Amino acid sequence: MKNDQSSLINKIKPGVEKSNNKVFQPLRTWFGKYISRKTFIIIRKTFFDICSLKKLIITIIAMLFLPLIFIFMPTGIDFGLISSHHAATIIGIALLFPAFFWTLGIAYTSIIGTSGSHLIAEEVSSGTMLILVSKPISRIKIFLGKYLAVIFFGMLISFISIFTIGWSGVLIKSGNIDHFISLVPFLTALYLYSVFIVFLFTSITMAFSSIFKKSRTASMIVLILIIFSFLAFMIIRTLTGALYGTFQIYHFDLGYHLGNVFVLFIETLNAIPPSAAWLMFFGQITGVYSLTSTIDPDQGINLGGLDKTNYYLPIFSLLIWILIAALLLFFGIWSLKRREISV
Amino acid sequence: MTQKKLKINYEVWSERLTKIYGKGKEELEAVSKIDLRVEPGIHGFLGPNGAGKTTTYNMLVGAISITEGEAKIRELKAGSVAAKQLIGFLPQDPVFYEDMTGEGYLIYMGQLGGLQAKEARRKAQELLDYFDLFDAREREIGKYSGGMKQKIGIAAALIHEPKVLILDEPTANLDPLGRVDVIQKIKELSDKVSVFVSSHILSEIEQMCEDVTMINHGKIVVSDSIKKIKKSFVSNLYILDTDMNEKFLEILKNKDFISKARIEEIDGKIHIIPKDPAKLQKIIPEMLIENKATLLSFHQPELSLQDIFMEIMSKKEDDEK
Ligand SMILES: Nc1ncnc2c1ncn2[C@@H]1O[C@H](COP(=O)(O)OP(=O)(O)OP(=O)(O)O)[C@@H](O)[C@H]1O
Ligand SMILES: [Mg+2]
Repeated sequence: MKNDQSSLINKIKPGVEKSNNKVFQPLRTWFGKYISRKTFIIIRKTFFDICSLKKLIITIIAMLFLPLIFIFMPTGIDFGLISSHHAATIIGIALLFPAFFWTLGIAYTSIIGTSGSHLIAEEVSSGTMLILVSKPISRIKIFLGKYLAVIFFGMLISFISIFTIGWSGVLIKSGNIDHFISLVPFLTALYLYSVFIVFLFTSITMAFSSIFKKSRTASMIVLILIIFSFLAFMIIRTLTGALYGTFQIYHFDLGYHLGNVFVLFIETLNAIPPSAAWLMFFGQITGVYSLTSTIDPDQGINLGGLDKTNYYLPIFSLLIWILIAALLLFFGIWSLKRREISV
Repeated sequence: MTQKKLKINYEVWSERLTKIYGKGKEELEAVSKIDLRVEPGIHGFLGPNGAGKTTTYNMLVGAISITEGEAKIRELKAGSVAAKQLIGFLPQDPVFYEDMTGEGYLIYMGQLGGLQAKEARRKAQELLDYFDLFDAREREIGKYSGGMKQKIGIAAALIHEPKVLILDEPTANLDPLGRVDVIQKIKELSDKVSVFVSSHILSEIEQMCEDVTMINHGKIVVSDSIKKIKKSFVSNLYILDTDMNEKFLEILKNKDFISKARIEEIDGKIHIIPKDPAKLQKIIPEMLIENKATLLSFHQPELSLQDIFMEIMSKKEDDEK
């Protein structure tokens, strides 16, 4: 019985196949277990199901809504007098909060959550999945096809949004197109962060879609998680004050971890230099920076801005949530594999 | 004999295939240790509502897990990708992607079945043509009629050129004309693929199949060729028609040499299954004279599958009591 992946490989690289047999064949076979032409067929169908032109436009507008408000707020700075780098910093600081909190935060995660939550659950409950699983395609591929479609969709909308935010920021604030170049590190940091977010939230959403009967249950849970991460924990952090650290609430505070990872990308890419202007704000929203660090009034200088709370090393926050996302991905696959498909 | 049997490559084969739904108090054995032997050709799968047909099919196509026992499609483990390459499945009450066009849907299914895009398109158009859906190929499936949906479902099952078609009540929800059409198509197809088809309508099965398997309460009741089944049942049924059927039924019911007697709803005649046919034949004239009744007819009919089915199912129930 010739399976689909090996025949595909034969078609793509008839020459290489034989010479590298020992090394590449097992690798290809392993890879082909998860990704093959059939996976791409599923990806394509799912992608166009979740990404109609109308939806794409509405989505982008929704994601841009908050940053645009921030962009239109006057800064009182004459962009003609400052360096390109300085201009990028000011634009970056203006965009930082709406980008983290809204565009790549509440809006982005909600869109991922609602786009992905029905993909498995609804196909099973409506009955279309019954025909799908009877076709000669493994359930792993069905899952990965849908999963990757959401990932690609997420990567597409975040790319468009970030790009648009950057351009409109530059055009509206300074009007000097050269400033866009200086803004690239910041936009890159945003994009890398969005890839992390789409990986995490697609895994969460699809795992729930894979186990629940109703897609509404899956999307409700994701939405509750989003509300907790971006809103509820902000209040909890403020209300609990020092207790937040004492009782180590940060372990469960996804909002803190996301902030931590966000700052990691900003720092690593040197996207925006630290300054009290945004650290304060960011500390309030995410708890990454300590708000109680006092500025010595005599010396009057605290150029480094606020101290980090450092509940977690940023890299740990990143790795732990990548690990969790990976586990959820496996869990989703495993659940679908075991799931009884009957109407 | 047994050796010869072993050599046959069955299209569908199962050994002690069992499905238990639920756990603990809600446990339900929907399919119980059934041994399927489906040979090439058209094989019927019969049973009353809740007998376990759909459950069996869903196990064969890998949609639900097998609790116990095993099942194979031409030597390949049921539910594996390789086995699924060999089967085309039409579920009971199939559901489609309503917003896809008929052609788009078939191409999608074909590609999932392993066809290249071009090949899938060619096959799709061929099948659309065969099932008289070519003119509707660009319409959304959501706008198809029930009969059209059923046909697109069979076409989708066929598109990757399977060896065995598994059809779960393909004629359900169709009008008489639609039924005839679908049955005709299934018969034609059986030249190229084996068909394992379930239905409630026994006359349909009788038209299509050579072999049948009947199940009830998750167990196989009989599995054989229709010819053989009929032969073994032919001598048992007598049909009596007089001008006072109800009274006669009362009298007959109380005789000890009668195993079963009832008035058939369709023709209003008395259907009798005697334990001792000789005694029955003797008593009828006596009864007629005694009651001053008029005999309209008394004969042994050619049994339909329906009669046999009823007979077997009722016998089983009696045994279980
Ligand atoms: N998902 C399920 N969970 C629990 N019980 C089920 C499930 N599906 C079917 N059953 C039960 O299993 C038994 C067999 O059902 P099944 O659908 O296989 O019968 P069937 O022969 O196909 O009936 P029909 O002719 O009505 O389609 C029934 O008692 C049914 O209630
Ligand atoms: Mg059924």
